[in-house]
Amino acid sequence: MSAYIIRRLWQMLPTMLGVVLLVFFIFNWVGGDPAYVLAGKISNQEQIDNIRRQLGVDQPYWVQLGIFLKQIVTADFGASWSTNERVSHILLTRLGPSLTVLVPLTILATLISIGLALAVAYVRGSFTDRMVMIVCTVGLSISILVYIIVFQYVFAYKLGWFPVQGWGDSFIQNLFVYASLPILIGLVVSIAPNLRLYRTFFLDEINQDYVRTARAKGVSENRIMWIHVLRNASIPIITFLMAELPGLLLGSFLIERFFSIPGIGREVILAVERSDFPVIKAITVYVAFATIATNLLADLTYKAVDPRVQLK
Amino acid sequence: MATDLAALRGTRAPTAREIPHTVSPGLWTLAWRRLRSDTVGMVSLVIVAAFILMMILSGAGLIASDWNREVGVNYAPPTFLGEEATATAPASITLPGAGNAAGATQYKSNIVDPIGDVIEALKAGKTPGEAASTGTLPPPETAEEKSVDPLAEVMADIRKSEASKAAAKPVERKATLPFGGDKWGRDVLKKTIKGSETSIFVGLAAATLATFLGTVFGAIAGYFGKWVDDAFNWFYSVFSSIPYLLLILAVAAVLQQKGIFTVILILGLTGWTGVFRLMRAEYLKHKSREYVQAADAIGASNARRMFLHIFPNVSHVVLVQLSILVVGFIKAEVILSFLGFGVPVDVVSWGSMLNEAQNELILGKWWQLVAATTAMAILVTAFSLFTDALRDALDPKLKGRAGA
Amino acid sequence: MRRAFVILIVAFVATVSAHAADPNKVLRTVFPVAETGFDPAGVQDLYSATIEQMLFETLLTYDYLARPAKLVPLTAEALPEVSDNGKTYTVRVKKGIYFIDDPAFKGKKRELVAADYAYALKRLIDPKIRSPWAWLVEGKIVGLDELAEAAKKSGQFDYDAPVEGLTTPDRYTLQIKLRESDYNLPYILAHEPTSAVAREVIDTYRDVAGRAMSNPVGTGPYVLKQWVRSSKIVLEANPAYRGFTWDFAPGDAEDASIVATMKGKKMPQIGRIEVSIMEEDQARLLAFQNDELDLMNLEGPLAPNVLDGDKLKPEFVKKGIKLSRIVDPSIGYVYWNLQDPIVGGLSKEKIALRRAMAMAYDVDEEIRVVRNGQAEEVQYPVPPGVVGHDSHYRSPVRYDPVLANKLLDWFGYKRGADGYRNLPDGKPFTIRYASRPDSLGRQQDELWKKALDGIGIRMQVQKDRFPELLKLERQCKLMMRTASWIADYPDGDNFMQLLYSKYIGQNNNGCAKIPEYDALYEKAMKLPAGPERDRLYHDMARIIEVYAPWRLDTSTYRNMLIQPRVVGFRKHPILHAEWAYIDIAPANGNDVATGLGRRAAN
Repeated sequence: MSAYIIRRLWQMLPTMLGVVLLVFFIFNWVGGDPAYVLAGKISNQEQIDNIRRQLGVDQPYWVQLGIFLKQIVTADFGASWSTNERVSHILLTRLGPSLTVLVPLTILATLISIGLALAVAYVRGSFTDRMVMIVCTVGLSISILVYIIVFQYVFAYKLGWFPVQGWGDSFIQNLFVYASLPILIGLVVSIAPNLRLYRTFFLDEINQDYVRTARAKGVSENRIMWIHVLRNASIPIITFLMAELPGLLLGSFLIERFFSIPGIGREVILAVERSDFPVIKAITVYVAFATIATNLLADLTYKAVDPRVQLK
Repeated sequence: MATDLAALRGTRAPTAREIPHTVSPGLWTLAWRRLRSDTVGMVSLVIVAAFILMMILSGAGLIASDWNREVGVNYAPPTFLGEEATATAPASITLPGAGNAAGATQYKSNIVDPIGDVIEALKAGKTPGEAASTGTLPPPETAEEKSVDPLAEVMADIRKSEASKAAAKPVERKATLPFGGDKWGRDVLKKTIKGSETSIFVGLAAATLATFLGTVFGAIAGYFGKWVDDAFNWFYSVFSSIPYLLLILAVAAVLQQKGIFTVILILGLTGWTGVFRLMRAEYLKHKSREYVQAADAIGASNARRMFLHIFPNVSHVVLVQLSILVVGFIKAEVILSFLGFGVPVDVVSWGSMLNEAQNELILGKWWQLVAATTAMAILVTAFSLFTDALRDALDPKLKGRAGA
Repeated sequence: MRRAFVILIVAFVATVSAHAADPNKVLRTVFPVAETGFDPAGVQDLYSATIEQMLFETLLTYDYLARPAKLVPLTAEALPEVSDNGKTYTVRVKKGIYFIDDPAFKGKKRELVAADYAYALKRLIDPKIRSPWAWLVEGKIVGLDELAEAAKKSGQFDYDAPVEGLTTPDRYTLQIKLRESDYNLPYILAHEPTSAVAREVIDTYRDVAGRAMSNPVGTGPYVLKQWVRSSKIVLEANPAYRGFTWDFAPGDAEDASIVATMKGKKMPQIGRIEVSIMEEDQARLLAFQNDELDLMNLEGPLAPNVLDGDKLKPEFVKKGIKLSRIVDPSIGYVYWNLQDPIVGGLSKEKIALRRAMAMAYDVDEEIRVVRNGQAEEVQYPVPPGVVGHDSHYRSPVRYDPVLANKLLDWFGYKRGADGYRNLPDGKPFTIRYASRPDSLGRQQDELWKKALDGIGIRMQVQKDRFPELLKLERQCKLMMRTASWIADYPDGDNFMQLLYSKYIGQNNNGCAKIPEYDALYEKAMKLPAGPERDRLYHDMARIIEVYAPWRLDTSTYRNMLIQPRVVGFRKHPILHAEWAYIDIAPANGNDVATGLGRRAAN
């Protein structure tokens, strides 16, 4: 087992290196030159050159790449070009709000989807099943942008059930007051696809031989669904969840912008608008690392849940 | 050997498990038969076909080609709502000390207008020819042009432009439009139709590109294995480790904005990874199958084996993936528009409509939002249901789990 | 539960301090764009500058109500004494003004002195700080540029070296000697980059670039209490602030009622200011309507929801919401790159091409559709509210596509087979219009596309992110772009310099080099504001019309929406924040102190 983990960690290196090269290549080649914006509205070439020198963008590419690698190894990405704030500080302060929305959202979405998926899998093939599936498909077909605009307008403004936007200092207030509507929107957009997916996972299991055997033995249908099917279907569900998580961190930028939540996704858009490479690079590297790490974690969980799985 | 060749021709009696993987002209016929018995699938197919027909008609300029015309008043409401009660024509605004004081003064200035004489002559209604012939003005700089009548063309043009202006003027702007108007007074219904052309085209083209890339990469990696597989796998894991949002922004930054092909490229170049993973697995599975070895025995080249022999056996996977991607990309185009990397101005798409409509809801002008959302919802729903039906029909093994 | 929580907050805030400002008076407002930081020499965005005006103090400021904007002393005892034909300025700092307490002062009270202003001015040109405001002092103060040169070589700016043009004859006196006459210096002394900062503070908190972006220590009416970057900024009244008594003379009837309610009050009154950053238009307007904001700037796309023409809609009037609007001291213009081989040059056919494009553009439509009626056509390159503006001037450049077409015909821009025109030499050409990938950019693209289609000119949009556009612009590689300029200080020079050829590669974004214009500008530069300079400005305006390096389009309106409990508010054309001059009527209920609106709390 530990040998496997070590080998997998070792195998991560080339991937990380590839990510680093690609990020470096993309953002240094096409990222735009921030010096012109930073120099102010009246500036001359000399001032611009001075800025480029200070940011190090006038260095040869291999020197810049070396600096980048050093930054990754030391986990110190320096300071933001536009605000001079430490990049590590930016990421740490933005992570909290993002997670305040994402963690409850993921837990709720998973529980609700599993519950509903089990229910429809139980009545598979019935009219209810088909209708739920069609409703899910319709729900999926509407852009998240529309959900946000309409929900904010209707539930926060017209009905006044939630604040329109905002973010406070107290975790409880953030979670129960400000994050409620964003979480609700998140649920609406994520339950539909999850439900469809989990349902297929459950159906896969229901059709397995061991379920038929259990049924033949007279095990109650409830027990079959809740114990056998759920446990076995949890493997693909966990794998799926793990794969989703890192992407969600950035993917929630729309919600964060509309509800003024100071999260990571909003920060990325801001950094791209401002050509703030240190921030972009750091976020990319960390998210890439998280993706690779969760992949490994998913495989290990797989193994833990189902010892029959062979790890190569 | 004989059975291998038979398998190649698809005449060997297939076992139940192998149905989807066997070359058999019957596969598609069978699938079609299954699909036809699926009501939801058929209804979806008809809807999708209708949208695609709309796309083709619109692309050929037969419908909604004049979507850009401002036919209604600004924000003309839908006809069934009736006319706007209060006219919101902006009153002329006067601010204290804002500089709207009457009594404009003409200042004498010693600045010489280098083309002032020409402008005056034109304002006085003189044509280039007249002005030149009276000698009051320098001849137009076109004088050395050597057509027989140097004026004819210019005159014709001016007449044409006057005529087109005259034709444009008397158009009465309608107070209401069937589905309402946008802020410029353009017909939302026509915009939606034209928008469907762009969105569907973008979705189809980008999905084709992504599927093509994924299939080719997956085929090469899975078929050759060894270091080729390692290389492609490395490329795949690098690509899929970078956050999708940043990848999109990066590709968008590389390509700049030049047209809807940029949007297609952005989506296509970033969306191939899922297809790659599946196709690689399929090719890995198939390359050791007997029929492939048989092809090897008769001396078929690698490319021939990959794309003539194996591909038909995995094409149903490709088709389903393609269908899934189309739906995903039609939705992704909305987000690209939000980020400012959508279609150019002289093109309308559902994404650009939704982004325009973003601020319209709080103005109470909900129709553009509703029109674009509804059109998109209908197509995407139909497309998704059709994809489900297609998968069931192509891969009856899965039929059970699709709920029938 | 929530109510209990609210009361808790109120109770907590109430015990904090006991100076003039009432901690229960909370003003909630909003920025549409994130701030960057609070070092006066280091930031250039409007929103950071707005906060800076509350934290730091300049020598001079503007009278709250006087229009056009009028300079008054802030920390100075009086306006500067000008001598030597506008070459020497002497200004005295009030005694007894103290910085807020900070560990950098090691427990001592730190008085504001003239040297702090000298230090602030030097910082602007320190190459290490790379201030975006270097141009405010560059080439102006005797001996300062030489010091900057030396710093470039040594890598270290010597703040202790004597500068002939920047001296402090005594603790409270600052003397500035200029190389050439410049009557705009007092405006620069009212501009927030020249705010006083303490050297000890900068030395304590500076980053690698020598900036102290997150530790503002000033003498202003407010202090930074909490800062969640790009999300929320909370200010509280500075307990050590000297305060002032509200006493401004009314300019018109609207002012009269402000004066009636505010006169004689000890300022500042508001104890706490909460600024939220909300990028999305819908979020901002809904938050205001939901009573989660007290004050907001109504950006263009939102205007039709709130305004009927120039008045608030009845439902807002009924709620007691007020509107304060001004014409921004800004101009919008589209420029053509005069160095471009297709649209540039000063030959007649090129002038005709640019003028035809200028005449093809329908500014009224831009105002109606793009600006939602919240703008007016610019007639004169110096906008309203800025010294040198001429409210009677009417630009002869008019929307006239017929004439534009005739003009192009005259100069031989003939239409080809596809209906689009070719150059007089028969070559086809395409105009590249550069714009940003945002919704405003997109709408302008549409208008220009329509305009140029109307005169048979092929147009293509060149989209890029702002930093890239700026880079290409500085290198004179764009063909045309819509730009705007908002006054740094309310003097015409700030606008007229935009076409001066010396500023090519800086802010002369069309790379215009028109010898006649340069000659006039150089003459005007040396003159104080007055009829003589106005005459030169008229000639320069005329040059802009006839050579068409620009097409002036719109000056936008700034509409501030104000909840009924906010009193004394009047939008100032130059000052970014009026928060120290206004008050909040006593709250009826507890909801003022919470981030939540009445609706949500009920």
